[in-house]
Amino acid sequence: MTPPTPPPLGMRIAGDTNVGKVRTSNEDSMILDPGRGLYVVLDGMGGANAGDVASQMARDAIHDFVTQRRLTMSPRSLVEGALLCGSETVFAAAQANRERQGMGTTVVACFVVDTQHVIIGHVGDSRAYLLRGGRLQALTRDHTIVEELVDRGLLTADEAERHPYKNVLSRNLGARPDARVDILELELKAGDRLMLCSDGLYGYASAEAIQYVLGSGDAPDHVARDLIELALRGGGGDNVTTIVLEAPQAVQSQSSTEVVRTTGAKEWWHKRQRFLQLAKERGLTRNPIVRGIEPNEALEVVGLSLCQAVYHDLEKSTGVNVWTFAQNLAGGWFERGGEWAPVRDIIDILGTSARTVVDEIRAGDAALGFLLDVAVSRALVVAELSLGGLLAERLRQVDSELIELHTAQQLAVERTSGEYPANDSGTAGPWVDRPTTPFMRPDRVVTNSGVSKEVVDAINKTIVIAVAHVSAKATLVKQVLTALETIACDGGGNFGTAVLSARDLYGVRPVDDAGIMPLFDALDQARIVTAASVHQIQTTEGIRAKALLALSTAHQRLVGATTGLVLESVLPFGERLREVQAMTTALRDEVARVERKRAALERGHATRADPSLPWGSRGTTEW
Amino acid sequence: MSDVDLVGSVFVLRDEVLDTVEYGDRDPPGTELFEAVLRALSVGGESVPGLDLALHDAVSRRLAWGDNEEVVLADAELIFDRLMVAVERAFRDPADRMVVIEAATLVAVTVARVVSLAAVARASRDRAARLREEMAQRQLREVLEKQKLTISRLESELKQQH
Repeated sequence: MTPPTPPPLGMRIAGDTNVGKVRTSNEDSMILDPGRGLYVVLDGMGGANAGDVASQMARDAIHDFVTQRRLTMSPRSLVEGALLCGSETVFAAAQANRERQGMGTTVVACFVVDTQHVIIGHVGDSRAYLLRGGRLQALTRDHTIVEELVDRGLLTADEAERHPYKNVLSRNLGARPDARVDILELELKAGDRLMLCSDGLYGYASAEAIQYVLGSGDAPDHVARDLIELALRGGGGDNVTTIVLEAPQAVQSQSSTEVVRTTGAKEWWHKRQRFLQLAKERGLTRNPIVRGIEPNEALEVVGLSLCQAVYHDLEKSTGVNVWTFAQNLAGGWFERGGEWAPVRDIIDILGTSARTVVDEIRAGDAALGFLLDVAVSRALVVAELSLGGLLAERLRQVDSELIELHTAQQLAVERTSGEYPANDSGTAGPWVDRPTTPFMRPDRVVTNSGVSKEVVDAINKTIVIAVAHVSAKATLVKQVLTALETIACDGGGNFGTAVLSARDLYGVRPVDDAGIMPLFDALDQARIVTAASVHQIQTTEGIRAKALLALSTAHQRLVGATTGLVLESVLPFGERLREVQAMTTALRDEVARVERKRAALERGHATRADPSLPWGSRGTTEW
Repeated sequence: MSDVDLVGSVFVLRDEVLDTVEYGDRDPPGTELFEAVLRALSVGGESVPGLDLALHDAVSRRLAWGDNEEVVLADAELIFDRLMVAVERAFRDPADRMVVIEAATLVAVTVARVVSLAAVARASRDRAARLREEMAQRQLREVLEKQKLTISRLESELKQQH
């Protein structure tokens, strides 16, 4: 037996498995053998507990094979041979026992040749992912019937997504003695992270979430545990297994972030008493927010809390602690009906004290002082941002309360005076903002030379490719693409097609940035994806150019029609404003008229009330 | 793609696309759009949508000077159509044509976005102005109410004196 060898220097590896929230047994298996550099995830299948038998049987066979032949075979052949051996073993066991017929297992295996080279082999739908430079990419393609149909061009990616057999495997270990194994040789770069997993992970966690967790910078054992947690939170409908391998980091001097996280944070914490002293001198204990609290307690509650928050944020390179501190400080004060000025004052005191402390550190160690200056400034900016968010939230609340109040008052005034004209529904009431539904008349006929059959084919193919490139959730973009296809293929050249498509696209939406801009974002995305897709269709360059011309013209028409709808929908705002302005003018005139009447009456009243006054020159005086 | 200088080649089409003869020394309408196409070509590839600040500026200036949104939009459509016709005729290499078509589409979409943004901003201003007017009306009604009370008081006092 080959003596175990240590894992490649600097490589960090961890794995974890969980039965999930629905299944009662775990049919997944894994090999985590740093000594031989072998890491495998297997996902068994088959009734009557045959799934776990298959995966364990294959696991043992693969492990034995690698153990025995590691030194005599080339890495590539070793992985391929091990997986084939696993398949033969499972197949033979299934043939020998009638109850276990049909059992099998998927597998993804990684054999570490050295710190820079790995061999990956896989059969079935267990996957390998690579995280490089913060971006996650799948290294394997599932061996499902639908995927193979897509590869042969018999299904589009969109059809594949909806296909009822999208989870049916086309290959596994145990179905045949000679499974076809896909092998990939990969060169690792410093800091790369490789992940092997069963479908229980990616079936219940989004790629974005996986990328986030894998790229978190935490140690692989934490990452593996978090990934399992992710799948469980997503439903945990299947057994889930994951192995995380991290290539060694490049040898380099300590980064500035590391300096701040270690030396900087410690130095800051050592200076906490100085910070509190400075804050006290600048009047922290006299601030209205801490009124009624003992000075020392006030220093502790506010000053030390910020000091701690900054320390933790420096240590972890985050801003969450300072953010929370500012939220708690200002949020509590505002809830008690406090004013803004004391919050500003206290933050200024804390900020200037912190800067003084950093300046003192800088005097002793210029480099550390500089790094701390940046880091502490960032923490203070986070506090400002937090306060800004709080103020914006308060402003929004006040704004909406004001509008509600105003609307209620207007309603009350109208009910008594009945001066407003009837609204759309025929009842008297104020003009309330609602999403508008404009409809532009299709009265602009534009010329169109028509499109030939070849160009129509090219347009259709382009749109199929474009739709496949768009995320499943981007329904608006897909709608735009369908509209583009319709307009571009419309040989009649009637602008009405574009208008009708724009009408469908516009739907009912509020007339503000949040309502309109997503529409233009979708139009822009559709433009980009169409321009990219047209280069991928199999045809001559000339037809491709014509297809692009037709699609671009369609795009221009669609965008024009959509903008026309936007312009129509903003029209009532101006009209209503003019109506209201006219009403205000009428009211002003009325006030002026009544004022004249009141003045005349008062003049009369004054002259009659006190006839002894010497106002003889006034024309209407009767004395 | 051939190694034709696309910016130079499209610039040659300026008179035709903008119909400069019609306008003499003045800048014909849509000049800013044609220039935006040239800028997009000189950048040589995809940029962040709507990032052409010069185009934003030019369109906003036109709107501020009194051209309404429909006119700007119509100009964009006209320039786009003329450019497409001119490019179809002038460029032999389909790859070159495609580059110009992509740039022109980018400009058309950006103009539409800027015009829509301006319209939405105008609607928002109108909405705020309406709110102010309604508040002013409320104050005027209160004044009117007070005036009416004063008048009725004065009238009753006058009657009593009589």
